[in-house]
Amino acid sequence: MESPKTQDQKLQMFFDGELAPEEEAAVRRDLEGSPEGAARLREWEQVRAAMKGVAAEWAGEIDSDALFARIENEIGAPVVPIERAEHGQPALHVVPGGRERRVWGGVATGFAAAAAIFLAVMAWPESQLDPSPITRGSEVLEADFGSNTGTIFEVEGGAGESLAVVWIDDEEVGLP
Amino acid sequence: MSLIRHLLVIAILFGASVTSDASAQGSSLARSDRASTTSSVPAEVLVVLAKEEAGKIDPQLKKLTALRRPPFNSFRSMTILSRPKLKLTPGKDALVSLPNGRRMKLTLLRVMPDGRYKVKAAINRPDKSDYLPLLQVVASAGDPFFVAGQTYQGGTLVVGVIVDPKKSAQ
Repeated sequence: MESPKTQDQKLQMFFDGELAPEEEAAVRRDLEGSPEGAARLREWEQVRAAMKGVAAEWAGEIDSDALFARIENEIGAPVVPIERAEHGQPALHVVPGGRERRVWGGVATGFAAAAAIFLAVMAWPESQLDPSPITRGSEVLEADFGSNTGTIFEVEGGAGESLAVVWIDDEEVGLP
Repeated sequence: MSLIRHLLVIAILFGASVTSDASAQGSSLARSDRASTTSSVPAEVLVVLAKEEAGKIDPQLKKLTALRRPPFNSFRSMTILSRPKLKLTPGKDALVSLPNGRRMKLTLLRVMPDGRYKVKAAINRPDKSDYLPLLQVVASAGDPFFVAGQTYQGGTLVVGVIVDPKKSAQ
């Protein structure tokens, strides 16, 4: 006795017309031997007949030879330039795509930022760029007191700066 | 159009930066050349008679807070005797007569790279070198240096020298 799977495969091959004539006749006899099998055989034969009919209709509608001939003609035909209408057409110009505009915008923004930083650095007050502190006040570099004695002081000014004081001992001189 | 605006902004910014750069370089050059191009600088000499006796402090001296600190804080009266203004020209002596007959000789030697003024001073009787033969000082604009100690009329002369380009010489 055959397994159900083998029976199904055989039935499938039967309806596909793939069985040998002897096997096909045997399967047909089995199906016609029972009411269920006979009904199943009729349904599938109806479906098969309907599909064959549709396929025949499609094949009849499409003239494949004519279709291929037309394609070949179109490919081999000379190229005809498109003439622009002199009037009635709006002036067209190339508009950059969104991506292109974004790229240029980014580049321009980068340049602008670099230029702004450069400008800010150059325009910054020199006093703030110069690390050396501003020198205020006064100081003695050299003093020659001659025959006198003297002292050099530093006294704080109003802004905290150091101011030089040279004090020389003296006897009052008479006016000439 | 947006792209053109972007490029225009970039051109303007770069133009401004180049201008600023040129200006900064010009400023730097001006500063470095200042020593050689300085013609004359206004200065003021403050001649004060200070005494330990109680008295008045000239109101014009109130701004000079240094005169209220040591070694000047022993003086309780201060009177301005003269306040001559002059121009200091590099290499050229400027003379200021003092009330005791001596003369103060001031010479602007140079303007230092940091903007301070290098000044040579001497105080002597005419054709003498009996008091202060030589003093060299550097002072920033508006900040004084003092020479004190000469006795005069029972007090002490305090001479302050202020080099200040903002002051106009007479």
